[in-house]
Amino acid sequence: MSAATQLYLATVSVYICVNVIASWALDIQFGVTGVLNFSFIIFQAAGAYTAAILSLGPSSSSGGFQQYVGGWRLPFPVPIIGAMVVGAVLAGVVGLVSLRRLRSDYQAMVMLVVSVIATIIAESQTGLVNGVAGISLVANPMVSLIHATRQTQIWIFVLFCVFCMAVVGVVMYATVYSPFGRVLRAVRENDRAIEALGRNANRHRMQAFVIGGALAGLSGALLVEFIGAWAPNGWFYPETFVFFTAVIVGGRGSLTGVAVGAALVGVGVQQAVEYLPITLNPSVIASLEWIITGILTLVFLWTRPQGLLPERRRRFPAPLRPDAPELAERSAATKGDERG
Amino acid sequence: MEVLMSAIGFGIVTASILAVSSVGFTLQFSVTNVFNLSFGSVMTGTGFIAYALNTSGISIWASMAIGALCGGLISVALNWLIFGRFIRHGISRFGMVIVTIATGLICDNTIQAFVGPTFYAYNAQPGKAFDLAGMLLTGQELIIIVIAAVMMTATHFGLKSTRLGAAMRGLSVNASLARACGVPTRRVVAVAWFASGVMAGIGSVALFLDTSTFAATTGSQFLIMVIAAAVLGGVGSAEGAVVGALVVGLATEITAAYWNPELKDVVAFAVLILVLLVRPQGMFSQLSSERTAVG
Repeated sequence: MSAATQLYLATVSVYICVNVIASWALDIQFGVTGVLNFSFIIFQAAGAYTAAILSLGPSSSSGGFQQYVGGWRLPFPVPIIGAMVVGAVLAGVVGLVSLRRLRSDYQAMVMLVVSVIATIIAESQTGLVNGVAGISLVANPMVSLIHATRQTQIWIFVLFCVFCMAVVGVVMYATVYSPFGRVLRAVRENDRAIEALGRNANRHRMQAFVIGGALAGLSGALLVEFIGAWAPNGWFYPETFVFFTAVIVGGRGSLTGVAVGAALVGVGVQQAVEYLPITLNPSVIASLEWIITGILTLVFLWTRPQGLLPERRRRFPAPLRPDAPELAERSAATKGDERG
Repeated sequence: MEVLMSAIGFGIVTASILAVSSVGFTLQFSVTNVFNLSFGSVMTGTGFIAYALNTSGISIWASMAIGALCGGLISVALNWLIFGRFIRHGISRFGMVIVTIATGLICDNTIQAFVGPTFYAYNAQPGKAFDLAGMLLTGQELIIIVIAAVMMTATHFGLKSTRLGAAMRGLSVNASLARACGVPTRRVVAVAWFASGVMAGIGSVALFLDTSTFAATTGSQFLIMVIAAAVLGGVGSAEGAVVGALVVGLATEITAAYWNPELKDVVAFAVLILVLLVRPQGMFSQLSSERTAVG
């Protein structure tokens, strides 16, 4: 394989891993718990900026052409862990403001506004994360870690992303299909019923929010370490919508489905448009991707709202009717026990 | 003092544009209970229709009127083609928010594909500047304020003293009861969408005159301000939207004058979040959370 083909395949693989992790992060918030998180993309962005700042070193070190707060050169896994922590903390803060006794669509509006505020601040306060130009020159951590050819380093990073995706997948399965996951789904289905049973629905929403924030931070960190740069025009608020489409197309609450949706919508649509047999102006291509994503959402919400691979619903045997013969037998048996 | 007065002047202009738009947004919400996130696209669309009329030699105010009518028709068409169908299909409240966002993205990007990423400007003269107690306002800005005031008054009396207004208020309180009392729900909903589109059209032409240049994304960027004003006042309340628009408009322009013009929107949004922390339902709203969408 030529170097260009290899780089292309590696890039597509990293994008798939990152999109799957991010879509799972949104799935635990929106798919499983039912929080319409329209500020999702800022958690990914926060993770990416954190990973960049924790691995680049002080801003004066690269000749001062870009400015940002802090700046440390920490060894390999630390920037990624830092990104997860910042993602989780930011999710906690946004959750405190928006996850209150508001209607779900009110909450969504507040989060939308939070997302826009974050973009304006990042763009206008140049000293924070280098404003509109964004941060660049973030190195692939494998370059300093492993002495090998550039190709090998890239493929090792791809393997690392696949490894992260697998770990996240195992953790997600353990979480979503545990008693805790059942409570989250109950919050989504009927928050009043769950409160009547003595659970605090908002606290569970907050937990899902923070878990999702940490995973979104991880996805941003992996992506920035691969592509090397991060700027505000990559995380305008409509970008959140791509992940919503992935979750809806795949199947809300279904981890396998969401992974398929993330690969199809996050990477597939873009690749399909790139390979269209007609030549289009680059700005028209970008518009076309958005139009296709939008149409895909509408079509799925209309024809198959449960998604490609729907969430499995646990079925319980129907409760016995009072006049059912089994019940009569059983009560006869208990009566017998009492007498005995 | 001079700085303050001129900031207030700009604030009133911004508030007028915002008031027209957010009353349109909130009126349609109160009747149909649909958060219409494609409102910004309707604004952009009508802005460009007015641009086409304006460049073919029609005056900007006539273009605004025709554009507003087209905006009403676009809005009704969107409800007829997409939103109403999804509501009767039995979509959840989440689903509806996502449907409107998807529609907005499709419309925005279709416009973008045709007009490209360039900026446009109307062919209109701002007119002579007037000095009103230190507020320097151009003739164009005064006309915008007057139009907004007329629209607000008309909406207020329309809602309070006509049969249609009573039907709309009835729908906003309890749709099935209104239907049982013989309110022609579908027709009233269509009128609400039409009114919302007309106000989006007026708001967009006024906005694009005020910002002097505009592109395919200007409407959707402004939508966030519209939402802030509407939610601040309490979504569904027209009076609330006007007060919300005044607060947001004045807060942004005073911040721009005294602190940092780049952060003016942030201050407006911070005000919104602070108000919601104290009064989660907004300043004026008493909406129940049990309402379902009406199509």
